[in-house]
Amino acid sequence: MGKLVYKVRPNDYWRIGEHENWFEEMAAKGLHLKKLGKMFATFEKGEPKQMKYRIDISIDRKISKDQLDMYAESGWQYVTRDKLFYVFSSPVEVNAPELHTDSAEQSFTIEKLDQKLMGNAIFTVVATILMIGMLSAIWFLEGTPIYVLIEGWAIQQTILAAFIGYTAYTSLRATLSIRALRKNLMEEKPVNRHATWTKRDRLRSAFVVVFTIFIGLSAAIPVVQLVKNKTITLPRENVDLPIVRLADIERNPHLIREEPEYMNDGVDWGNRYSVKWSPFAPVQYDTDEGGVVLGKEWSDGSGQYSPSVHTKVYQLTLPAMADSLIADLVKWHQYDENKEDYVEVNHPDLDRLVVYEGADTKKIFASKGKGVIFVRYYGDAETNTIVDEIEKKMKLIAGIE
Amino acid sequence: MTYTGGPMTEAMYYVLLALLNPNHGYQLMHSISDVSNGRIKMGPGTLYGVLSRMQKDGLISLAEADGRRKTYEITREGKVALRTEYNRLKAQIVDGKMVEEGEIENG
Repeated sequence: MGKLVYKVRPNDYWRIGEHENWFEEMAAKGLHLKKLGKMFATFEKGEPKQMKYRIDISIDRKISKDQLDMYAESGWQYVTRDKLFYVFSSPVEVNAPELHTDSAEQSFTIEKLDQKLMGNAIFTVVATILMIGMLSAIWFLEGTPIYVLIEGWAIQQTILAAFIGYTAYTSLRATLSIRALRKNLMEEKPVNRHATWTKRDRLRSAFVVVFTIFIGLSAAIPVVQLVKNKTITLPRENVDLPIVRLADIERNPHLIREEPEYMNDGVDWGNRYSVKWSPFAPVQYDTDEGGVVLGKEWSDGSGQYSPSVHTKVYQLTLPAMADSLIADLVKWHQYDENKEDYVEVNHPDLDRLVVYEGADTKKIFASKGKGVIFVRYYGDAETNTIVDEIEKKMKLIAGIE
Repeated sequence: MTYTGGPMTEAMYYVLLALLNPNHGYQLMHSISDVSNGRIKMGPGTLYGVLSRMQKDGLISLAEADGRRKTYEITREGKVALRTEYNRLKAQIVDGKMVEEGEIENG
């Protein structure tokens, strides 16, 4: 067997004349078609030969042996196929008769293909529209697309949707082309066997290969997320993580942690941290922590003082995204408060600092370099205390000395 | 396209003609050529398409399998269709007589 040569194949599988021409040109160079894949055609190196190639469409799942025999007896050898498109070849000197000598009859053979392709096209277009609708809801419902991107909620799904969208586009083109071919055949205009691939066809084919590889790689995203994401009960003592701790905010030796209220999978969800990963924020923490201070009451007399803190920590891939993330985080965590109550504050050691101060609630958004930290705190500690703690932790993730 | 009794394609007409004698695929190509006095050289793709379509429409059927080859024969329905088509073509020729007469005048 000769050496195998792989060539990127123009993915417009429905363009019969161009394919036939291409195979004939290759055979004249000594490259004989062996296999036709979705993206690559395999050729075997051999002697240059003048060959005729013809593509025949068979809507049946498998072309019958009877038909193959009949073709073979007329001098046409079956080479390979790509789904419904069967490739036959015959040396020029054999002078085999054309497979199809009656254009009108040939148009009947692609009538069913035409209907099938139309069905496919409608299905993929509807699927694309549905996916775009669902994904738009994820990305834009709260108007916080950067937040959604950095959390990494829908990256792979979106890439997949783009792929399905491209499939829909291709299947629409296939449908229209086959319909046009059928119409031409009915008007006795045969397949154009002088058509050749243009530079644009080749560029598009190369793009499809790259795009497909990219989609393949993107499948790793949810896998990495699955492997990396975990939730663990926060230890009572200090941990070596860039997390703002309740004890550091309260600075009260009488702060204790209560018995867990909600345990699941051995994790105390009231006192936990989650490690997360996404392509645009490979280091992420998400924490909840609560406690009570023995012998202390809320100032409004509503019972035992029980502060809690929720934090989010991001180390971004691209520091340039920090500003947009802060804006989106503010939007995401702003309920019925006035927008003006979220105050931008200048801080010598932080790039950005946005503070909201409610009665017992404080929300603080800060960024520096690659680091973004959000803290939501219920309790009576001073804002400055929290900002100081944020600034300390920020040093660990900002990526700046 | 299901055959509903309208004008046949040339390919259908000659396949039916040739199948007045049961025959299998490859030889059928030759007998079509014979029946048409060499005027029609039908490609195997066209022939196969016509055969499977007419079989579906009941104009032809599979005769006893002769070894590994499929032998086709015309059905009664096929014969009726062929006669109808023949009469239609004949009527066309009769109706077109004036062309020939005109040619004689011009000649």
